[in-house]
Amino acid sequence: MKTPGLRFFVTALVVLLGIWAGLKFHTAKRVEEPAVAVAAGVASAPEPKESSAMEAVPHPKVPARLPDFSLNDLSGKPTSIAAWSGKSMVINFWATWCGPCRREIPLLKTVAADWAGRDLAVVGIAVDYADKVRQFAAQFKIDYPVLIGEEDALEAAAKFGMDSPALPFTVFTDRRGEVVALFVGELHRPQADFILSEVQNLNQERIALPEARRAIAEGLDAMAGKNAG
Amino acid sequence: MKRSLGAAWIAVFFLSAMLGLAGTALAKPWWMRNIDSNATDFLPPDVAFRVGARIDGNVVKVRWVIADGYYLYRSKIEVRAESPDLVIGAPQLPPGTVKTDPYLGTQQIYTQQVDAVVPFSRIDAGAHPLQIKVTYQGCAEAGLCYPPITKVVFPTAGGPAVAAADPPQPFESTAIIAGACAFLFAGLVLRKGRKLDLPA
Repeated sequence: MKTPGLRFFVTALVVLLGIWAGLKFHTAKRVEEPAVAVAAGVASAPEPKESSAMEAVPHPKVPARLPDFSLNDLSGKPTSIAAWSGKSMVINFWATWCGPCRREIPLLKTVAADWAGRDLAVVGIAVDYADKVRQFAAQFKIDYPVLIGEEDALEAAAKFGMDSPALPFTVFTDRRGEVVALFVGELHRPQADFILSEVQNLNQERIALPEARRAIAEGLDAMAGKNAG
Repeated sequence: MKRSLGAAWIAVFFLSAMLGLAGTALAKPWWMRNIDSNATDFLPPDVAFRVGARIDGNVVKVRWVIADGYYLYRSKIEVRAESPDLVIGAPQLPPGTVKTDPYLGTQQIYTQQVDAVVPFSRIDAGAHPLQIKVTYQGCAEAGLCYPPITKVVFPTAGGPAVAAADPPQPFESTAIIAGACAFLFAGLVLRKGRKLDLPA
């Protein structure tokens, strides 16, 4: 017969071993999860990235080419998006009530200025009330073209696969009107520069469209990973 | 005797392992781990912000459960009567966290969860089902905003206003593991001294 002391010791050992095994199992699983949610959502067009069945938001069904739509400009004049055909485009969907959208405005102004004379058009599409947008555009001195709409702007967003739009999102096209990338969330300078460099490669026929889309998807993923890490 | 002692040790080991697992707060049930969505994706608005309501005496309590990394603007929360016979007062909201954005000014926001208390009175003494219409608007910290969402909500009498964003997974997994251990243990105990009658 074992002594009570020994029995207690063995019991305690088994209990501790069990707790250790449980904790180890738990922490081993834990480290495989990403540490922080990253800054931006990306969908490159029109090949959706491989995704798991549990994906949070399905990638929008992005059209291969710039769809046609028409909205009023700041002065109320109906303007077709085709007015800029032959140019590469940065089409930014935004609203005055959206903080991240407002934060992007200075970047978009800089992009418009930096690329002036290089056949690139930055166009803002405000999903908002016209009077609010006019007031905001004047206050923030938006110097690139802005189109405005309510339901019709939502319909325009839906043409890019953003059926229940979250703002901001930005569409990049090459000069042939091919949709090169669709970026969901707040755009930052490195991402904008990177996508535009690929658009330029595409325009100068240094790279084919599928390659450019893949390079953008991979490059943005890498940037997002760097931000998270 | 020896065998049952061995079984007891195995049971102690499993129960301890279970304790170790349950002791740390699990964000997700263990069977759902490592199939996380792409980290670059945003949640659909109805997953980021979940709303429900229940009747509590003379007030309706509206609860929003907000996903991690998302927030609602206090100033954008509205509650209105939807049933024809319903008169509701102004929703009482707790003070939010102050968020200062150089491009949007100072705003009060809510994260995780917020409850609005809405006094109400009914003219027809409850002939119509009670319905309210709630409007709310929020964003993801990572730089994305959703347009205002409007929903008609049917407050229930009693019960939780809205399911918690993350059900208490530790207890769920504990229950499953404990059940499995109990089954194993019971099997071992009942088996003691019994033999399977196999045809010769």
